Amino acid sequence: MEFQSCFDIIGPIMVGPSSSHTAGVVSIGKFIYELLDGCPEEADIIFYDSFAETYQGHGTDKALLGGLLGMGTDDPGIRHALQLAHKSGLDYTIEPQGSCLFFDHPNTTMVTAKRGDHLVKVGGASLGGGLSKIFMINGRMVDIRLSTSDDFSALAKNYQVYRLREEIARNA
Amino acid sequence: MEILSMRELLEFCEKEQKTIGETMLMLEEKKSGRDQQTILRMMEERLIKMKEAVDIGTKDSSPAPSGISGGDAVKMGEYVKSGKPLTGSYISQAMTFSLATSESNARMGVIVATPTAGAAGILPGVLFSLHQNDGTPFKDLVMGLFTASMLGYVIANRSFISGAAGGCQAEVGSAAAMAAGTITELKGGSPQQAVHATAIAMKSLLGLVCDPVAGLVEVPCVKRNAIGTSIAFSAADLALAGVESRIPCDEVIEAMYKVGKDMPRTLRETALGGLAVTETGLKVKERLFCSKK
Repeated sequence: MEFQSCFDIIGPIMVGPSSSHTAGVVSIGKFIYELLDGCPEEADIIFYDSFAETYQGHGTDKALLGGLLGMGTDDPGIRHALQLAHKSGLDYTIEPQGSCLFFDHPNTTMVTAKRGDHLVKVGGASLGGGLSKIFMINGRMVDIRLSTSDDFSALAKNYQVYRLREEIARNA
Repeated sequence: MEILSMRELLEFCEKEQKTIGETMLMLEEKKSGRDQQTILRMMEERLIKMKEAVDIGTKDSSPAPSGISGGDAVKMGEYVKSGKPLTGSYISQAMTFSLATSESNARMGVIVATPTAGAAGILPGVLFSLHQNDGTPFKDLVMGLFTASMLGYVIANRSFISGAAGGCQAEVGSAAAMAAGTITELKGGSPQQAVHATAIAMKSLLGLVCDPVAGLVEVPCVKRNAIGTSIAFSAADLALAGVESRIPCDEVIEAMYKVGKDMPRTLRETALGGLAVTETGLKVKERLFCSKK
């Protein structure tokens, strides 16, 4: 039972072109932004499976970076997220891979992001229709459902205890 | 209160003497804790955004950044104005509005996912065509979105709605099925008739693969949205005539799920099969991505 509301079906209001490859990914990025209390300075992004094959065409990279910059799914700035990331001093890498070991879904990403002292490694999947799920934070399996009408800031607060200091995370 | 199948939905509608749309509104109130006014306002906001996307798309003939879509909504709009469309006024206008929305989507414009962005043209297409052709009022169209979301809610929770998970049958198939049931309810059909329309539309798209050229939501997606509106209207007409789906809707959804599970990865939005790997499809991909590397 992943779909809980009529607005999971009619919605989100979003910048195109794909609810699973664009909008749902903005939400994953935005969750990480909230988890870190702001935009990261570094992000290493892995795209798996369908994301890996089609991320350029769907603007999945722009969507994730837009989210990491704090944008919502209907922000027209997503179109220019690559340039905006550069301007905001967000250094990123993107690596396409096959399938994800930890979560069986074709639209999966793993993002290692650093802001100040904090480093998080977050696994997210975009389930379709703009709905997403965070399934892993710093090596712990979690089950956080993200609908665009949710308050991400409040949701992320509950998981900030999972953040690690950078040196600990690097050695973990 | 929870509704997990079309059978349960119809039993509820029968017992409470509610339409499918009213049932969704009740369910949303119970589940979200929001009051009815707030929920209605949120749905109105979505309908308004859908209209804005149609208005922009019917005037904008510019190509998408890829150069492989754009301009067809304007072409179709002019053809419809000429007064000669073979499919009649309802379907031809629905196709125009659908193209407009899907082309806006490809330009990274703002649209409403219904249920996904890839299938976002179908519901606005049929709803605004109903308004244009028989003056269906705004508040009825809002209720139509509750009908559509109730049907989509059952489909999404029993099967899937994204091309990556279940192929285009799950995406355009689900949207056309939702639209068929919505038209039926808006035109005075019973909940049973609306669910038959949903089943008939879904059966007609069963097995459709997701094979976007270069991985872009453009070819064949934009035109499949246009054609999706015509399947929705045809299925609604059949249901309103009293034609029933011999296979119950819940079983059709189950079949869609199984077909999607059996579908190879190459045909589920990876751009590794179908139209994506035709000679022309591959040339487009090479032009767009390989030259940049």
